[in-house]
Amino acid sequence: MNGYHFDPCEKCEQMMQPYLDRVLTDQERAEAEAHLEGCSYCQRRYRFEEEFRKFVRLAAAEPMPPELKEKLRALRTPL
Amino acid sequence: MTRRFHSRKAATVEHVSETTPDSSPRQLATDARDRVRFEEEALELSDQVYQVARRLTGSREEADDLVQDTYARAFRAWRSFEPGTNLRAWLFRILTNLNIDRGRKIQRTPDSQPLEETDYFLYNKLEETTGDGNPDERRVVERLSQDDAVTALAELPHDFRDVVLLVDLADFTYSDAAQILDIPIGTVMSRLHRGRRILKRSLAESAGVNGE
Repeated sequence: MNGYHFDPCEKCEQMMQPYLDRVLTDQERAEAEAHLEGCSYCQRRYRFEEEFRKFVRLAAAEPMPPELKEKLRALRTPL
Repeated sequence: MTRRFHSRKAATVEHVSETTPDSSPRQLATDARDRVRFEEEALELSDQVYQVARRLTGSREEADDLVQDTYARAFRAWRSFEPGTNLRAWLFRILTNLNIDRGRKIQRTPDSQPLEETDYFLYNKLEETTGDGNPDERRVVERLSQDDAVTALAELPHDFRDVVLLVDLADFTYSDAAQILDIPIGTVMSRLHRGRRILKRSLAESAGVNGE
């Protein structure tokens, strides 16, 4: 039986987003990493959050139309 | 003692200087060279500006107009950019200010629904309905629809969306986002936190896994 559904690892959860955003202090990061190393529950969620961010970024990305790029170049100050 | 003309490190776009301080031929040549370099550097960032503009607006046409307005203003105001500071942040500040100026639609009542207790809400819900006791995280994410993500971003309350787009899409630091939007860094953090959770909740709902 896996017990991780019943062990939300609250502290790790609090640190997860700041950890992914790379804004933890060195000490906090070391704590988070030490916990992550030994906790399969948080490792799975870490991988999910990482994949989720990539997914959102990919979903939101829409290439700029080439015509717009030309329009912007035309806005430059004439020499 | 040297008098300081710039009280803030990041140049603002409110003070636009459109006249040449010194019109000697040598100065004009230097100015032209600086301006060309500025314009080229700004244009190199246009893909990133467009990506965010597209998600701030409801259509390609609106995004197109917003990006053109941003560059027209940036090129006019180029003198107020302080070389050596963050050009990308400077451009995005113009972009977000113009987006507010263009009278983005009146915001519905700010989201006041309680947030889920856990940030892992979406994962837990997706995992529960995968029917696999040990799913690969990538496959769990693949169950989400990109169209739903775009809709969910569009429906985020604007204040939250601005921050989520700047940090998660344009990769700005909290501190840059705070400067761009002219809000305290603590506000960036709380809006980001809330915005991301609302996004996850919407996706959980559209994936049909909420409470089922």
